[in-house]
Amino acid sequence: MPRVLRPRAKGLALLAAAVLAAAPAGAQPRAPHLRPADTSDEGGIWALSEKAELAARQSAERNRDPALNGYVTGVVAKLAPEYQGDIRVYVMDRPFFNAQMAPNGYGEVWSGLLLRVETEDELAFVLGHEVGHFSENHSIEAYRALKARLGATMAVQFAVAAVAMGAAVNAGSAQGASDIMRAAGALNDLLYLGQLAAYFGFSRENEVEADGLGFQRAVKAGYDPAAGAHLWRSLIAETGASSFKRVREQEARVSIFSTHPLSSDRVKALDDLAAKTPTKASAAADRKAYRAAVRPHLAAWLKDDLRRRDYGQSLALIDRLSAQGEDLGVLTFYRAEAYRQRRGEGDLELARKAYAQAGAHADAPVAAWRTLGDLSLQAGDRPAAKTAYETYLARAPQAQDRWLVEASLKKLSEGSAT
Amino acid sequence: MSVFRSIAVTACLFLAACTTTNTRLADKSPTKPAAGAKILIVQPDIELGLLTVTGLQEARADWSTQARDNIKRELEEAAGAKSHVFRSLDPSTVEDPRALQLLRLHEAVGNSIRGFNYGLYSLPTKKSFDWTLGAGTQGLAQTYDADYALFTTGRGSYSSGGRKAAMVGAALLGVSLPMAQQYAFTSLVDLRTGKVVWFNVAVAGTDSDMRSPEGAETFAKALLKDAPL
Amino acid sequence: MIRTNTLRLLTASALVMSLSACVSVTSAPAGPYKVGAATVTLGHEWSDISAIMFARPAKVRLLSMDGPLLNRLYVTDGLAPGEFMVKPMAKERPTPTYRAGMAPTELVEFVTDSVAALDYQRVETDNLRPAKVGSAEGLRFDLKAKTKEGLDISGAAQVAEVGGKLYVVLYIAPSEHYYAAELPEVETVLGSVKVG
Repeated sequence: MPRVLRPRAKGLALLAAAVLAAAPAGAQPRAPHLRPADTSDEGGIWALSEKAELAARQSAERNRDPALNGYVTGVVAKLAPEYQGDIRVYVMDRPFFNAQMAPNGYGEVWSGLLLRVETEDELAFVLGHEVGHFSENHSIEAYRALKARLGATMAVQFAVAAVAMGAAVNAGSAQGASDIMRAAGALNDLLYLGQLAAYFGFSRENEVEADGLGFQRAVKAGYDPAAGAHLWRSLIAETGASSFKRVREQEARVSIFSTHPLSSDRVKALDDLAAKTPTKASAAADRKAYRAAVRPHLAAWLKDDLRRRDYGQSLALIDRLSAQGEDLGVLTFYRAEAYRQRRGEGDLELARKAYAQAGAHADAPVAAWRTLGDLSLQAGDRPAAKTAYETYLARAPQAQDRWLVEASLKKLSEGSAT
Repeated sequence: MSVFRSIAVTACLFLAACTTTNTRLADKSPTKPAAGAKILIVQPDIELGLLTVTGLQEARADWSTQARDNIKRELEEAAGAKSHVFRSLDPSTVEDPRALQLLRLHEAVGNSIRGFNYGLYSLPTKKSFDWTLGAGTQGLAQTYDADYALFTTGRGSYSSGGRKAAMVGAALLGVSLPMAQQYAFTSLVDLRTGKVVWFNVAVAGTDSDMRSPEGAETFAKALLKDAPL
Repeated sequence: MIRTNTLRLLTASALVMSLSACVSVTSAPAGPYKVGAATVTLGHEWSDISAIMFARPAKVRLLSMDGPLLNRLYVTDGLAPGEFMVKPMAKERPTPTYRAGMAPTELVEFVTDSVAALDYQRVETDNLRPAKVGSAEGLRFDLKAKTKEGLDISGAAQVAEVGGKLYVVLYIAPSEHYYAAELPEVETVLGSVKVG
């Protein structure tokens, strides 16, 4: 589709403001219910997107809670009424901050994003941003840009690099043998959209434009204009708390925000937009309402987040989520888990305190008591260990490790008898 | 991707005219399904693209669809010609959890066959071709009223004109560029035992462009070579 | 006209190619199989696919019957504090580490998190029970997980600390057919672990 040439590096804030001020001349958002010709490059990407969608639907990572999926879909419907029926968003349980939308309208929102968003307004901004990529056909644009770049360089080795990157980018974890097996398979599936997306990524201009469009859609639907900037700011702060120097220094680029590089320019642009728009009050009530929507998954998502083993980020996130004073049993338990797993200088003591604090709240997971028992025993506090173990057994009489805890209790009582 | 293609290029840059196959059989003289056996033809999974002059693969939905329809029709005709009854299954419509597990297991088994029967490594514990999905396939046999299941996966790309010119130029300089090629894997599973009784790989030549009905016929014949049908 | 040899190359990836020169899959015959200080007794022949595994620390060996997608039997030498079952791909992507003074449930967590680090999803444990490993008190438990694509996986694991080091035997396979097919053999292997 024809696109206007955009000024590169001419002040991204200006650019975003232009997007808001008027639909930029020449930009043609896609018409609803559009389907490209099968013979086009876009048609090819659509067909692959449809396969990727089927894989996502059947994936083990898909969150199948109808209430949660309905909630997210409802927000999309408010943001993009004209694309009703064109956009399908699936919630995936993956502990990374990501949302993506394929050109065929299939989208994913990852649990790492839902965990970090604090209000429906912030969620609406991100989803609006994705709808922006979709309506402007950014993935097709990015693909064509890539093609043009390659034309200049005759990148013969491109595909090899893509295979290697596909393995590294998609998983980000050591996959063991399946790497080799999958690499053999990946040869055949190189056309696969997921991999395409992984290596062509959006340009900074596309991201800024999507920010502007997301803002526009969210505000139009009645959401808080300040939400986008607040969210990006929270994420930048969390990145700054990372346990890893390289992550801290890369301004929210690597690690969990890889597909949506963030910069202070983008936050500034959103601030400028928000300054020109009346703000909306009652953030506290919005936080409460959003937390209620994601509460059933909070514990599982925090557990997944700890699997990234970036405890600096996880602890910053837990601090932020604790500020509204709700779910303190769960949040404090996972704070304790973070300390225990990090096991740095003094961490086990911090963990022990946090487990005890978690236990004071009605929503604390029962494992808090068993782990408090284990850590108290290690610290030599036998009475505390005994109380904690007994509380655990009383609260979880069917626990699969009951025999272990009973054995520890037996040792404790034998020890105190001698 | 391009490395294996490059090797393929050196091996057959100027020999690519013919369709080639490479079969594995569980039993060298397998018992053929009796006439009237019911074959479940799983919708062929085919992705074709255009290999651009820069080495980028561009998916072409129209080619994939044409090839899939052509290959499917040829498979059905082949089964019909041997007096077998065929049924069709589109995996994207399967909802039954156990059936989905078996389809995924077939993927894992198929990838393992490709990895270890056609790959660089062989397993000391796999001296004979005895791959199986297990007796759980009896459930598929019942659900879909079939005796055998036939799976087909096709991938490949076709060169753009500019690409071909670049390849020839590069070949003259002693450099090999990735070449467009199309190939397919197919497997026949005995649903009563779960055994993969036959597995084949075919590489298309210039005479077997699966986008055209005639080419697809040649390609499907090669693909079904030695199939115990 | 039929050509066979190019096809071998067709299915090999660039990644495999780069490794092919120096590694191979070997036979692990029935009988004692030694991994450092640990020895297990195999009831039948296995394929030792350790050499073609990515992200495998030297102390971890991997056996299989039908390839890594269909069955995996991990056997480790004693892991010292600070060591892992899965090698991290980058400093920013650490994998679970064995630490001195872990409580029993933390040992279980070490294994399940390692399985998750191998990119299995929704890893859960069940049926935690005591196990004798030589003269040491070990733990035995079952696992359930899924591949990314949604194939259900079952597993059996055993851990034991001997002399301040952790010895792990871990078996994982698709729940459909493959897990049960080798389970009797795996039970024998689990019962045969000797250290020293």
